Amino acid sequence: MRICVGICLLLALALPVQADQTLVMARSNAKAAHVMDVLKETLPEYGYSVAHVQRCDGGMAEFDYKTDFYRVVFFGKVEEVRRILARHPEMSPYLPLKIAVIAENNETLLAAMDPRALAPMFPDDAELQLQLSRWYNDIQAMLDEMRQLKK
Amino acid sequence: MKHLNWLFLLLCMPLFAAPDGKALYEEKCSACHHFRGQGGIGLPLSPEILAQVSDDYIAKTIRHGRPGRIMPSFQKLSAAQVSAIVRYVRSWTGKPGPVFEAARIQGDAGKGNVLYQKHCVRCHGKDGSGEGAGTGVTLSRERSFMVMPAALNNSGFQKSASDAMIRDIILSGRKTSNMPAFRDKLSDQEVAHVIAYLRTLQPPAPRKGLEEWVGKPAYVMESPYDLETTVENVKQALAGANFRIFPQRYLEQGLTDEFSMNTRQVSIRFCNFKELYHLLNIDPRLGTVLPCRINVLEQDGKVLVISANVAQLATLFNNQELSEVGVLMEEIILTVMEEATL
Repeated sequence: MRICVGICLLLALALPVQADQTLVMARSNAKAAHVMDVLKETLPEYGYSVAHVQRCDGGMAEFDYKTDFYRVVFFGKVEEVRRILARHPEMSPYLPLKIAVIAENNETLLAAMDPRALAPMFPDDAELQLQLSRWYNDIQAMLDEMRQLKK
Repeated sequence: MKHLNWLFLLLCMPLFAAPDGKALYEEKCSACHHFRGQGGIGLPLSPEILAQVSDDYIAKTIRHGRPGRIMPSFQKLSAAQVSAIVRYVRSWTGKPGPVFEAARIQGDAGKGNVLYQKHCVRCHGKDGSGEGAGTGVTLSRERSFMVMPAALNNSGFQKSASDAMIRDIILSGRKTSNMPAFRDKLSDQEVAHVIAYLRTLQPPAPRKGLEEWVGKPAYVMESPYDLETTVENVKQALAGANFRIFPQRYLEQGLTDEFSMNTRQVSIRFCNFKELYHLLNIDPRLGTVLPCRINVLEQDGKVLVISANVAQLATLFNNQELSEVGVLMEEIILTVMEEATL
């Protein structure tokens, strides 16, 4: 038992806390349109609904601004949104969650806000802190999947 | 119990294994610097650049980042993880990095200032901020150089670069950023003066948002009107501020069916495409917080008008130019919200 306790203590010291980022980002070898399709299929696998897709490129093209593929996917779980907004309506600008899908030549950048960046603004709400971490874990996992996509 | 101990040990083994530099690089660095250092939002880690900088410089750069210049600081990475990333980056060329003395080089900052104004100011700027924002080429922004002149006044650079390394770069120049070699133009003493001057450079003080909203996730105002009137007020105020307004959505729209959707939570999305185009050129990652929107929520008998705290939000990008815009946008959004709730 002592060994177990010792190992646990060592682990606690050895494990770095990975929370010094404010954006979650990934680069994918695949083209943006393909990444977008796969992402839309991946979100439901994590239990999220795709609320809508904002076509930033379309809006800019309409005004004659040259731009490549640039979309923002909004997603969420309605029960989470309801539970959090009931306590914190000031969280509404951050919900649903979103991921930007940006073409960079034949590759794709994906970027999302790290939900944990909001945690210091809600120091007294442990449940929300946990929720922010869960969202981060899901976003990171989905972006990792997008990073693995082949050309 | 004996078996339990062994199981614990077995489970813990991966945690004590040497960190995988490639995996860490791909996770933490590749989005900006590309898979093999070709660059993107971040500086290209070209063979020429890698040959000029020490492992210590790369490690300290990972640790300290470049405040206000996109590159984040990775304070939470362990020393072993940082070393693993450095080793992986070095493996691209297969050559070890140069080693520089850590000692300060003594010079006269006053004389260095004169030399800096003559030889360096054109590219590195009056205050040493370099040209424009960011540290490397970006997705769509036109740049004068493949690699931007370094922000010499940045605290991350100042902490990472030793005097000896700076001297070496001044003497050798850097082809990828069109920096000439000063080996035949400046004496050793003159280079020492320039370095002494560089050590006096300070970054400009960043503008901050309004004190009353600092540390808050959102601007929240209570409207004296009902939800429908408030929504119309917000739209009118936005139109008056030259924004294009998108068709309004409900916050829950798309997350549930239309019959169970809460229609007392309205999201008003708006954009100024000229500004958006400009801002995306400053930082293409801006999409993570787009589009601009103001929400109107009816809750507990109150009508609330809510927008993200854009001054706070802009700081997420570690991009000073974007942070300045965030402060300006704060003023505009608060004006719109005040007009709508007057």
